[in-house]
Amino acid sequence: MRAGKTVSVEATSPKKKKNNNNDKKKKKQNQTEKKDDQNLLKKTTESANSVQTENDASLKIQELEQQQQNTTQELAATDSDSDSDYQVFSEDEVSEDYESLRESEDGESESSGDEVHGSDDDVNNDNDDGHEDQSDGSESHQGIEESDSSEDEVAPRNTIGDVPLEWYKDEKHIGYDISGKKITKKERQDKLASFLASVDDSKNWRKIYDEYNDEDVELTKEETKIIRRLLKGKAPHADFDPYADYVDWFKYEDSLHPLSNAPEPKRRFIPSKWESKKVLRYVRAIRKGLIKFDEPKEEEPRFYLMWGDDSSTAEKANRLSYIPAPKSKLPGHEESYNPSLEYIPTQEELNSYQLMYDEDRPKFIPKRFTSFRSIPSYENAVKESFERCMDLYLCPRVRKKRINIDPETLKPKLPSRKDLKPYPATCYLEYKGHKGAVMSISTEASGQWIASGSTDGTVRIWEVESGRCLRVWEIGEPVHCVAWNPSPELPVLAASAGQDVVLLNTGFGNEEDQKRVGELLQVETHTASDDSDNMASIVSWLQDDKLGGIRLRHFKTVTSVDWHRRGDYLSTVMPADILFSVHLIFIVFVYSFLSMDHVFHPTRSIFFVSTKKTIRVYDLLKQKLIKKLETGLREVSSIAIHPAGDNVIVGSREGKLCWFDMDLSSKPYRILKCHPKDITNVAFHRSYPLFASCSDDGTAYVFHGMVYSDLNQNPLIVPLEILRGHTSSNGRGVMDCKFHPRQPWLFTAGADSTIKLFCH
Amino acid sequence: MEFNIETPEQDEKTLRRAQVRFVTKLKAPLKVPNTSIAIPSNLTRFGLSSVVNNLLQSVNPEWKSEPFDFLINGELVRMSLEQFLLAKGISAEKVLEIEYIKAVVPQKEEEPCLHDDWVSAVDGSHPGFILTGSYDSLGRVWKAEGLCTHILEGHSGAVSSVRFLKSDGMKNVTVATASKDQTLRLWKFDAEDLINHPKKINAFKILRGHKASVQSIAAHTSGDMICSGSWDCSINLWRMNESDAEGDQVSTKKRKVNNQADESQFEGEAVSTLVGHTQCVSSVVWPQHETIYSASWDHSVRRWDVEAGKDVSDIFCGKVLNCIDVGGEGSALIAAGGSDPILRIWDPRTSAPVFQFSSHNSWISACKWHDNSWFHLISASYDGKVMLWDLRTAWPLAVIDSHKDKVLCADWWRSDSVISGGVDSKLCISSGLSIQ
Repeated sequence: MRAGKTVSVEATSPKKKKNNNNDKKKKKQNQTEKKDDQNLLKKTTESANSVQTENDASLKIQELEQQQQNTTQELAATDSDSDSDYQVFSEDEVSEDYESLRESEDGESESSGDEVHGSDDDVNNDNDDGHEDQSDGSESHQGIEESDSSEDEVAPRNTIGDVPLEWYKDEKHIGYDISGKKITKKERQDKLASFLASVDDSKNWRKIYDEYNDEDVELTKEETKIIRRLLKGKAPHADFDPYADYVDWFKYEDSLHPLSNAPEPKRRFIPSKWESKKVLRYVRAIRKGLIKFDEPKEEEPRFYLMWGDDSSTAEKANRLSYIPAPKSKLPGHEESYNPSLEYIPTQEELNSYQLMYDEDRPKFIPKRFTSFRSIPSYENAVKESFERCMDLYLCPRVRKKRINIDPETLKPKLPSRKDLKPYPATCYLEYKGHKGAVMSISTEASGQWIASGSTDGTVRIWEVESGRCLRVWEIGEPVHCVAWNPSPELPVLAASAGQDVVLLNTGFGNEEDQKRVGELLQVETHTASDDSDNMASIVSWLQDDKLGGIRLRHFKTVTSVDWHRRGDYLSTVMPADILFSVHLIFIVFVYSFLSMDHVFHPTRSIFFVSTKKTIRVYDLLKQKLIKKLETGLREVSSIAIHPAGDNVIVGSREGKLCWFDMDLSSKPYRILKCHPKDITNVAFHRSYPLFASCSDDGTAYVFHGMVYSDLNQNPLIVPLEILRGHTSSNGRGVMDCKFHPRQPWLFTAGADSTIKLFCH
Repeated sequence: MEFNIETPEQDEKTLRRAQVRFVTKLKAPLKVPNTSIAIPSNLTRFGLSSVVNNLLQSVNPEWKSEPFDFLINGELVRMSLEQFLLAKGISAEKVLEIEYIKAVVPQKEEEPCLHDDWVSAVDGSHPGFILTGSYDSLGRVWKAEGLCTHILEGHSGAVSSVRFLKSDGMKNVTVATASKDQTLRLWKFDAEDLINHPKKINAFKILRGHKASVQSIAAHTSGDMICSGSWDCSINLWRMNESDAEGDQVSTKKRKVNNQADESQFEGEAVSTLVGHTQCVSSVVWPQHETIYSASWDHSVRRWDVEAGKDVSDIFCGKVLNCIDVGGEGSALIAAGGSDPILRIWDPRTSAPVFQFSSHNSWISACKWHDNSWFHLISASYDGKVMLWDLRTAWPLAVIDSHKDKVLCADWWRSDSVISGGVDSKLCISSGLSIQ
C-alpha cells in the first residue's frame, strides 16, 4: 500500500510534469524558493514521473488485457491471477483526480464491458480463424474496436446460443446449424480406441475438444506460442512492445483549433501554495517523528528448538499459566535395536526379574536384533500411547511452587563449641565410697567440698580436688536430697531421709563458725519443741545427738530440700501434696497441692514450686501466687533457676527440657528434646553461661545458655556436650548433677554409686 | 617401668647405614674412641646404647654395660635413628655426631614407706630424711629404709603441705606443715635421734590467720620466712622467729598454754598477706629472695614482689592449677600442672607455654624441677603415674608406675631419687637416677 500512499500524496504531480514540459523556464524561477522543500519536491516529482510511466504502461496493459480476455478466456485459467492484479492497479488509477485520463479510461472500460458481452462469439471467431485475426498485434487492436461487426462475419456452426450444453446432453444432436438443421453428435469412439489414436497421433497434444461444436480443434503453432506467452504473463504477440516510447499525438500548440483558446491560467505557472504547505507539514511531521514509516519486520528466527523451551511459552500465555505436559522419556541406548552388550541383562538377571514384584520389574528389557527387519512390532505400543494420552488428558497438572532452599541454611546459626569454652567435657575424678545409688549432691559455696546423699543411708562429704571422703553420717534411711547451706558462715548440711530432714553440722569453718553452728543447732531445737503448736502436726523438731544435728520429722516422706540464698530459710517438699518453708525460727507457709520440686529465687523473695504440669511462682513477702508457668509437659521432675532470676529451666519425666523466659511469656521459650529417658535433674551454673540436665539414660547434657542483659536479645542456647560414663543400674542413670560453684565443672551423681567430676 | 623394651631389628636386607661419631662429656672410663663408625640406621636408643657399651667393652674388657641416652642436636633420640633423622630433617650423608649421656632411669625401687592414710605431701629437700604429710593429720619423718623416726602430731585436719625450713646438719631441724584445719605449724626435732619406735613431737608454733584450708607452703631460701597459699584466696607471709623476743618484735603474739602439751606453743600471725587471687591458691613457690610464684584455681600463675606485696605479672592458663615449680634454665622456667593431663612449662617472658607434656591421663597433682639439672623434672598425676621428663624430648624419660591409685605428691630426694606419695598410703622411693 506504500506505493498507493505516495501516489495519493503526489496526486497532482503528473499535472506538474506536464507543466514542466510546457514551461520549464518559469518553473526554474520558482525553484529559487525554499531549497529544502524544493529538493524534497524534486524527489517527489521524480517518483511521480515513475508513477506516470506506470500509469501509461498500465493503460496499455489494460488494452492488452482486454484483448486477452477476448482471445483466451477459455484457455488460460491461470491468467486470471495476473488479470485481477491489473484490475486492482487500474482501480487505484481510477481513484486519482486525473480527469482527462479518467474520462478516457471510463470510455474504454465501457467499451471493454461491451466487448465482454460479446466475447463468446468473438472467441468462436478466433477459434475458427484466429490465425488470420491475431497475426498482427495492431490489427487485433483494431479488431477489438470493431468486435461487433466481426461477430457477424464469421458465424459459428452451432446456433443454440449461450445455453447450457446439458440441455442437449441426452439428445442426438448438439444444436442446429444456421439453416436450422440438427447437427448430429459425432460418433463416440470408445475410450481405448481414442486413447490409442491419440497415442499414435503426434499432434495430439495440440488438439482440443470443442464441446460446443462437437469437434476437435487443432491449435496451430502460432496459437500455442501465444498461449505460452500468455501463460508467462507476457503480451500475446512477440512483436508487441509494451514499453514503446510514448508518442504525444496531440499537439495543441500548433493546431489551428486548440481544445481551448483560453489563456493558460496563472496557477499553472506558480507552484501550488497549499501543496507546498501540505508537503511542509508532512516534512515536519516526519522530522518530529509523528509519521512513522513501517519498520522493517523483525525476522522470525529461521531455526528454532523443536522441543523448545517451555518456560518461554508459559510466559507468552497471558495470565493463564500454561503448564506444559510432562515429556515422556526419550529412548536411550538400551532401547536401541542393537544395544551394547552391557545393556543386555544376563540370564540370571532375567530370572531375578521373574521373582520381582510387578512394579519393581523393569518395564523394558533390552534385546538385540541383528537387523531392523527382524525387530518385531512393539507389543505395548498401543497400550503405552494410550496410557500416555490418558496421562496427558486426565492427570491434573499443577505448577508446584518449590522453594529451593538448602536445609542447612535454615538451621539457626549457632556459635561453634570451641568459642564457647570452657565447659565440662572430660571426666578426670571419681568419688567412690557410696554403696548405693547416689541420689543427690550439693556443693559447698567455695567449691572445696561436695556433699552427697545415697540410698545406702549415708551422707558423705568429699574433697573436690582429691576425691577424698572426709565425713560420713549414717542417717539410717535412704537419703533423697542433700543441700548445703549457701552461707559460708553456716556450714550446715540439710539432708532429707524418709520423713526426716536432718540438719548436720559439717564441722568446717573456723572455731567461731563452729560455735555458732553448734548454738544454732542446739537452741533452735528447744524452741522448736516449745512453741510449735500448729506446726506440730506437720513437723516436729528433735535433737539428734548421734548425728550432732537437728532432725525435723515430717508426717510424710520428704523428697527435696532447698535453702534460701542467705541460708536463713529452708524449704522441704513432700510430694504427697504439702510443701512448706521453714525458717530456723519457724515461719511456715503451707501450700496444698502436689508439688514435685521447688527452688528459691536467687535474688528476690520469690519462690518457685513445680506441680505436675505447671510452675507456680509465689511472692514470699505477700504470700501469694504471682505467676503460673505452663510447661506443657507430662510431668515435671526438676526445676532450676538462672542466677539472674529471669530464666527457669524445667526438666520433665519424658526427657524434655523447657526453658522459660519469665519476661517473655508463661509459655516455654525453648523446648529441648534430648534425653530418651526421664530427666532427673537440671542445673544452672552460677557464673558461667552453662546449664546441664541429667537423665536416667546415664548421660548428662551440657548446654551453653547465655542470657543477655539486653532485653531485646533472646537467650542463646547451644548444646555443647554429652557427658557419658555412668552406668545405669535398675533403670536409673544419673540421679543428680550440680555445677561447681566457681569452675566450669559438673558433678554427676550416678545410680552406679559413684560421683563423677567432669572438667573443662 | 618402661625401659629397655626396644629390640634391634636384625633384618640385614633393608639395613641402611649411617656414619656416626660418639662424643660425650662424661669422664674417662666412659669415653669411647673418637672415630666415626657405620651403624645400621634403624637402631633405636637401645641399639645405640649397646653399640656404645660394646665400644667401651672393647677398650675395657671389665666394663659392665650401662644404659645410655643419646642426643642429636640437643634432642634425645626417642625413635629409630632413621626416623629421627627424617623427622628432624638431618642429612644422613654426613658423619653424625651423637652425644651420649647416662640414661636417666631409676634403677631401683626402694621399700615403700607405709602410712595409715593417704599421703598428701612430701618433701625431700633435706638429704637426711623425708618429710611427709598425710590425711590422718599427722606429719612424719622418714629415714631412708622405710623407717619412721618422728611423728608430727597436732593438726586437726589433713596435712596438705610439708616443708623443710632449716637445720644445722642433722640437728635442730625446723619444718613447717600446713593443714586443712586452716593452720600452719612449725616443728623442731633432731633428726639424728636413733630410736626404734617413732617419736611423737608437738609443734612449737601454730600460725593462724587463714580463713580456709591451707593448701601449700613455701620457704624462703634462708628458712626465715615462709609463705602459704590457702583456699581463702590469699597468700600469707610468716616470719620464723624462734625466740619470743624476736617474735614480739615482728608480730603481736598471743601466748597460750596448751593443756595437753607440756611444751608451750606459740601462735604466730601473718606478717603480710598477698591478695589478688580470686580462688584457692593451690601452690606457692619461693625460689628467689624477693619473688614468690603462686598457682591458683582461678587459672592464673602470679609472680609476687614480696617487698611491695603486689603481683608483678601473671600468666593465664585456662585450667585450674594444682602445682607449680620454678626451675630449669636459669631457674626461670615455670612448670605447672592442674586439672588437665598437660604439664605446661612457661618462660615468664612469654605468655604461651614453651613446652607442653601430655602423656598423663588425668589431673597433674605435683611437679618438681630437679635441683641441679636444667632439663629434668618430674610430674605426678591422678592416673597413678609419676613421670620423669627431659625438656629435650617430648616423651617421658621414665614412668614410675608403682602407685596403685592417685599420686598426690612427688619430690626429688638426694637428687638421685624420686619420692612420691599417693592415695594408696605409700611413699614410693625410686632411686638410682644418675643426673649430673
